[in-house]
Amino acid sequence: MCGIAGRILNAPGKVGHDLVELMDAQEHRGADSTGFAVYGAPIETGYILRCMGFDKASMDADLSDFRDILMAHGSDFVGEPTIVSDAAKHYCVRMVVKDPGDIARWIGDADDMSHRFEVQSCGRSLEIIKDTGGSVGVADKHGVRDMIGTHGLGHARLATESSVLPNASHPFWARPFPDVAIVHNGQITDYYTWREKLQRQGYRFLTENDSELIAVWVSDQMKQGLTAEQALRKSITSIDGVFTYMLARPEGIGFAKDRFAMKPIVAIEENGELAAATEEQAVRRVFADECDVINYDGPSMMGIWGAGNRSLAA
Amino acid sequence: MSVIIEAGKRHIREVNQDIQAALAAGDEVTVTETLSRHNLGVGLPEQGDISFKGSVGYYCGGLNTGTKIDIERNAGWAVGEGMSDGHITVGGYAGMSCGAAMMGGTIHVKGNAGPRCGVAMKGGNIVVEGKIGYQSGFMAHRGKIIALGGAGESCADALWEGEVWVAGPVDSYGVDVKVIEPTAEEVAEVDKILDPLGLVDSSRDWRKMISGQRLWYFESRDASAWLMI
Repeated sequence: MCGIAGRILNAPGKVGHDLVELMDAQEHRGADSTGFAVYGAPIETGYILRCMGFDKASMDADLSDFRDILMAHGSDFVGEPTIVSDAAKHYCVRMVVKDPGDIARWIGDADDMSHRFEVQSCGRSLEIIKDTGGSVGVADKHGVRDMIGTHGLGHARLATESSVLPNASHPFWARPFPDVAIVHNGQITDYYTWREKLQRQGYRFLTENDSELIAVWVSDQMKQGLTAEQALRKSITSIDGVFTYMLARPEGIGFAKDRFAMKPIVAIEENGELAAATEEQAVRRVFADECDVINYDGPSMMGIWGAGNRSLAA
Repeated sequence: MSVIIEAGKRHIREVNQDIQAALAAGDEVTVTETLSRHNLGVGLPEQGDISFKGSVGYYCGGLNTGTKIDIERNAGWAVGEGMSDGHITVGGYAGMSCGAAMMGGTIHVKGNAGPRCGVAMKGGNIVVEGKIGYQSGFMAHRGKIIALGGAGESCADALWEGEVWVAGPVDSYGVDVKVIEPTAEEVAEVDKILDPLGLVDSSRDWRKMISGQRLWYFESRDASAWLMI
């Protein structure tokens, strides 16, 4: 069933801490894997990358080959990459890189080594952290509670459509659109159809996860000229299945729900700040006092919340 | 005697055991720090009074066999699911599938109710002072859903012998709905349900929805053999 969450603060703060709370309260919805997308203070040039290597035995070769691809695009590491590794075979890397110019061309080349080393997020402020296991374990391993930012997403996964793999966890980056991420609760039934159409346009998908489609689909619609609101609304009638998803950008967080009202989302908005989640008991971890909860229970609903107290009301 | 039980972050099984013990001792129970948590007050006994302060999560009062339950604010999904008797009052909003598959008793929602209110219900009554959500009454076998503030889309879709009564606007009707003008006797029966709640109003313009019996299971089978309720 999966659990999703979003959090917006008025000013940069402990958004990582709050996302861990939101996901800890929903761990019963899926403890196969947990992930977070955090929007921190944006860097002025270059990009922050979050990557995963699938075998730490080849870590040095992975990083060396990846650096070669960066350099071929006029980029390079800025400082040393930070490695997170434990007993698991895979390892995670955070790095800052110089601007590689055309992101789509660069990631196209970088994805040629995605069978052993995968870029999981790219942005000036977005960082996606995801791993197998529950929220507390993933948060402890990756230091999520200490992450400062204005907004972000969380996801607890009960795997249905694809395997329990660290890289098949949510959130998904809208490859190759920087700073766009998604979390999804549901099943997309026509995702192979859409995926093939998008692949013919040059988009690349790295997992068998149906949710990976949504981020790219919505971003592609916006590339074609739709506003975020129009793209979210169009997804409700264009994508088939039962779903509620949240899509985050530097400007804020949007959500859309299917036509059958099968997947819940509730939100509390207080003083310009927001907590949204699949379950009400999660948002009460952030807003402990009794206050009004908005239940987006109906079919075909969508909305957009602005980050940093900016109104993006749909 | 009146007993206060704090839910907070305690294991819900422990909280429910405390509730069961207090009700068995004949105490009136108030539960505080409910924090919208799931499964509060599931499987309560044949009598007793319990009050939840604040909002509750999913399945509150599920499988109730006779207890009177008062929820101060909102209830999450499936409040009173599968209940066979008793009375549940929700002070605010009731989430999706309110009274799902209930067999008896009454659920009274003072606010709105979410989608699929009374889905597959097999008896009892649901009274919603506000609006009922998308596809409410879906496949209701028996019992009444009474909405005083209108209904959302696809109202009363694929009913069996359940009835959906709506005063106020209906956004759209579901598949196989037959809308009929109720008789004075039928309205009197509904008013009997509303009277103890103080909600009788003779000026209401009721729409009573029942099955049109045009779906395949009515047309292609002997309906009486399939209506096993």
